[in-house]
Amino acid sequence: MSAGLPTWRAPVIGGFVAFMTVPVVATALFSLATRWDRTLWPEGFTLAWWARVTSRSAFTDTLLNSFWVAAISVLVSLAIVVPAAYLAHTRLPRAKPWLELFSIVPFSLPGVVLALGLIRLYSKLPLPLVNTPNILIAAYVIVALPFMYRAVMTTLESVDTRLLIEAAQSLGAGPLQIFGWVIVPNIAVGIVNGSLLVFSAVFAEFVLANLLIGTRLKTFPIYLVEFTRSDARQASALALMSFIIAWVISLAILWTATKPRKPQKGGSHG
Amino acid sequence: MAASATHSRLAWIGLAPFLIFVAAFEILPVLTLLRSSVTGEHGLTLGNFGRAMTPAMLTAFSNSLQLALATAIGGTVFGTIVAYAIATSSSTTARHALTALANVTANFGGAPLAFAFVITLGSTGFVTLLLSYLGIHLYPDFRIYSITGLGIAYLYFQMPLAILLVMPALLALRPEWREAAAILGATTVQYWMRVGLPILAPAMLASFFLLFANAFGAYATAWTLTGSNVNLVPVQIAALVRGEVILDPALADALAVLSLFVMGGCLAAYQHFARRMRRTK
Repeated sequence: MSAGLPTWRAPVIGGFVAFMTVPVVATALFSLATRWDRTLWPEGFTLAWWARVTSRSAFTDTLLNSFWVAAISVLVSLAIVVPAAYLAHTRLPRAKPWLELFSIVPFSLPGVVLALGLIRLYSKLPLPLVNTPNILIAAYVIVALPFMYRAVMTTLESVDTRLLIEAAQSLGAGPLQIFGWVIVPNIAVGIVNGSLLVFSAVFAEFVLANLLIGTRLKTFPIYLVEFTRSDARQASALALMSFIIAWVISLAILWTATKPRKPQKGGSHG
Repeated sequence: MAASATHSRLAWIGLAPFLIFVAAFEILPVLTLLRSSVTGEHGLTLGNFGRAMTPAMLTAFSNSLQLALATAIGGTVFGTIVAYAIATSSSTTARHALTALANVTANFGGAPLAFAFVITLGSTGFVTLLLSYLGIHLYPDFRIYSITGLGIAYLYFQMPLAILLVMPALLALRPEWREAAAILGATTVQYWMRVGLPILAPAMLASFFLLFANAFGAYATAWTLTGSNVNLVPVQIAALVRGEVILDPALADALAVLSLFVMGGCLAAYQHFARRMRRTK
């Protein structure tokens, strides 16, 4: 049947690829064009917009802000999710459905609603939360919970944890040693995969950053939105950078997720 | 027994950071909104919901629901057709490359995407210029800054997401079934109506509900592209959070709770169909 039907397949795939690539290619060309609003092809090419936008100190500052916020969110997410997923999977099967539920709820929490709830709850409490990066990171950890939990739990379920634990115990390892030296290395794929997903989601996030801390800590997406309203050329360079960062992380995720795992022993878990 | 009970108590302590964090930043904020939305000056009331339904808010809900419905249907239908083309493509390289493309683009959104669409379909955008050379003038009838424009931009992430969700079901659709149907004298239409679509239905419905929620809650793309020109629920809530509108906390909370119900309903439906999909596979 592959020989008979190339007629409809080519335009469908061609249309899809065009729809997905033209906006990105147009953004790239626009960021390099001297002028491109009256001719079909850019009138000339220049690196001026890139040079101008990258030479600003705010550019490096916002890029670094986003990097740090994303990196800290990943670390906090790992610190709370990995031990919890491990314990629920191996020791507390009763807790597992609850963890599943808590890790799905964020999918149904629009950014604006989560921001509103956090402000309502914490604006009157004397805690160093509202208007600080702390609350932003806390919100990011929640938003990214589904990604981290799924990635870690799927890997845990694919590893024979009972066998590993029993083997380690018979060699005299304590619970913390087992977790740190046996379990974590065995679920490294899930940990890396989850971390990349969280990093990429946080790095590009705009809504919570905008509503929770506004201009006090400018992240890269906020900087980009400011530019879309003032200077389209430089905004296009920033937009292209966001695309490239997102692509690189997505491809890394695909690569880690599809990397062949060690042969697994089938079997149920306790 | 005693030792294992102590162990399990220790295990619960290990779970505590996760539970405390989730309670503090996920459960309590939602409960706060729920409580405040049904609290009036004289105790429990549903009055806040009534007051929330001003003409502007009704328009916001109607716009948001239409946008979510249109992009969820469009995304699922186009996505399934493209996914079928990918799944039945004879070249493995093409299959891998196109699936990777869907993977990469499904999470795009927000400001960069909105901006890319201004450059592509804005009044002096590349495709706008290209079409006007061909004698098709998009403007002034079409505007990228409108709800239609927003719908096109949303399809950019909705379609790839649908492709990823429907692909496993499509790969489970065995070519032999189609051949068997043909041998028994079924036409292509009959094959799809009786065999193909019923098998794909759970996956397509799961995709529809996830896409619906995805579009209903989206704010960054809408705000970058249209500012507050297009009246949507997330735009209204954000305006209330920023205090752009005279602050009436209970009103904002009622709106937020209503949109939580829409989102929760969609995700429950998604979970239901996703489970059925796994069972039939």
